[in-house]
Amino acid sequence: MNDDQVDAFSVCISLDGQGVTVTVDGEVDAMTSPSLVGVLAAMIGAGHRDLVVDFGGVTFIDAAGVSVLATAAELATSAGATVTLGSVSKVARWVLDITRVSDLFEFETAVAALSESGAAEAADGQLIHVGEADRTVPAPSGNRLVRSSTDVVDAALRLVTSLAGSTVDHADGVSVTLERHGQLMTVAATDDTVYTMDRHQYETGEGPCLSAKEEGRWFYVESLEDETRWPAFVPLALEGGIRSVLSSPLVIRDRPQGALNIYSNTRQAFGTREQELAALFAEQASQILTTAGQELTDDESNLRFVSALTARQTIHQAQGVLMARNDVSANDAIDSLFREARTAEITVLARAGAVLASTHRVDGDG
Amino acid sequence: MADDVDPLEKARRGLDMSVSDLWWRYFAIGGMSTELEVEAILYQALIATEGDRDMLSVALNERFTELGGDHPMRYTDDDL
Repeated sequence: MNDDQVDAFSVCISLDGQGVTVTVDGEVDAMTSPSLVGVLAAMIGAGHRDLVVDFGGVTFIDAAGVSVLATAAELATSAGATVTLGSVSKVARWVLDITRVSDLFEFETAVAALSESGAAEAADGQLIHVGEADRTVPAPSGNRLVRSSTDVVDAALRLVTSLAGSTVDHADGVSVTLERHGQLMTVAATDDTVYTMDRHQYETGEGPCLSAKEEGRWFYVESLEDETRWPAFVPLALEGGIRSVLSSPLVIRDRPQGALNIYSNTRQAFGTREQELAALFAEQASQILTTAGQELTDDESNLRFVSALTARQTIHQAQGVLMARNDVSANDAIDSLFREARTAEITVLARAGAVLASTHRVDGDG
Repeated sequence: MADDVDPLEKARRGLDMSVSDLWWRYFAIGGMSTELEVEAILYQALIATEGDRDMLSVALNERFTELGGDHPMRYTDDDL
């Protein structure tokens, strides 16, 4: 529909005897990143296990881009493939570092930097010098304290739930319950029924998910019809068509902080193999949460980073809307956003928010 | 030479804003240069792209308006 939008992003694949190199040009955001993951998934599906993604031409990355990269990394890991990111710009690297998504990837230049020089800086994981080492990445104060953005973690957890849903036989729904800010909540779920089942447990204050979380061990309800524990929750679950439940605790730094719940409409749905698989997925989810340092604090620099990244994403989405709506280039779109903000005497972020809000009114279904 | 200060840098000093504060605002708007590069732009050791100059101008203007001022920084292709 719009040439500028198409031109703004491209993925180029080259194959040689060594492996696959995927060259990315343009902006990695909510609109473009799914196609990058699609390409990587196709390459992994075709049996390639050694992929290099050249980020040299990447001009922008936002929270959506980061979260999709996390998804791609998980995909690669589960297939036993390695994805190496090459020529990553310093700001992009910094964004990946701060969200801990860089932990999921290999970096082409970082290896050289490690062996050549800068070993002292790299020793504690605070890898600052990358590539030519002519300039440094802005090292925000308290980098060590900055934790993963919740978006990224949630995207990874959604992937785990959908993988569990498709891998575990008789699983009709999968969810992840987590304690955040002292409250239990469903952070990923495969469908609405599962959301409702989780909610019934939070509301009645009982159920296998809560018990798994509290006691730090798994609970298997073979047949809800014969279940005598949790008298308030069981009738609600039966009403929703659920017949068996398997809840495994998510243990983060030796403390149970949530549960992975698998629901089935079949009685005695989960045999030994399914229980082992459930344990595996619970472990995977726990690992994601441990790596990401999910216990988010109200740390100032973390808030600053997340709010900056959110603003950035909002402005970028508004830019995309203006490009499509007015059939203009990316530069012209951002330019008009700046000018409109100035004329209206509001911030660019507020103007971007208004642009996005206007699309909901026009499109109706969002 | 000494009084040949970049308008961006002049505005930053006028606002008593740290380079780091300016960089965070610039990053939130979509900037892709590092804090050190931004500093180099301010000290005219690095030539900024038009996009970078505009984003830095917006970041400074938004701080000006927060303090009740106008938008003193011009954008690169301002023909007003």
